[in-house]
Amino acid sequence: MTYLVPAYVFAVLVLGGYLGWSLRRLRELVRGQAERGNS
Amino acid sequence: MTSYYRAAAVAVALMLVAAGAIFLFAPTDALQGPVQRIFYLHVSSAIAAYGCFGVVLIGGAVYLRNQSAAADRLARAGALVGLVFTTVTLVMGMLWAKPIWGTFWTWDARLTSTLVLWIIYAGYLLVRRLAEPGRQAARIAAVVGIFGFIDVPIVHFSVTWWRTQHPGPVIINDALPPQMLATFLLTMACTLVLAGVMTAIRYRIETMLDEAPLAAGARTPLVHREPAR
Repeated sequence: MTYLVPAYVFAVLVLGGYLGWSLRRLRELVRGQAERGNS
Repeated sequence: MTSYYRAAAVAVALMLVAAGAIFLFAPTDALQGPVQRIFYLHVSSAIAAYGCFGVVLIGGAVYLRNQSAAADRLARAGALVGLVFTTVTLVMGMLWAKPIWGTFWTWDARLTSTLVLWIIYAGYLLVRRLAEPGRQAARIAAVVGIFGFIDVPIVHFSVTWWRTQHPGPVIINDALPPQMLATFLLTMACTLVLAGVMTAIRYRIETMLDEAPLAAGARTPLVHREPAR
């Protein structure tokens, strides 16, 4: 258990963190595009 | 936009199902104990990374053939997602190795070739980031991506080509009990879906950056931004 838990915590942080960051980046770009469309 | 969120939610839900199978359905290994459960995501991540690097190979080859900006974007997306999965593979492997081998790292053929794979694709992304944007950077990166893929079969077959400390193939040798095999196949399928979703989102980001490089706080264009001829 000493190594099992850190292994899965690491995987969740890396994969979940990357997915969350990607979605946030995409939302920023979509917003920027919409703002440019309005101006 | 909403479809990307929906796809991400489905991928996360599938990974939770896989986690349920890993921790609740799969039996505890009699020899290694609970730490053997690292195997399911460790191997699945490695296979997802191979797939992503296959995307880089195909994208790079198509780009060199017809200068397709879409192929170049696909290659960029595959390289980044593949690097994320290779990082997970390496670190999970190290955390499995410590209690089993007594050390986090050994210069074994499988471990070393996987580290080389990580360095190759980190180099690929570095080329994209540091090289002058344009066709030249895309061409160099495509060549790195194509030649870099040579390491994928080396990683895969290293355990059969050389005497290694790393365990040999357990799936094709029918060495897993049915419950463990079912858990592994489920985890691999869910991980491949997650990798596909991540690549699709990254591809969309790369497309938007190509279309409007200075929009929405985007960095100065660092990679190939020219439309295909």
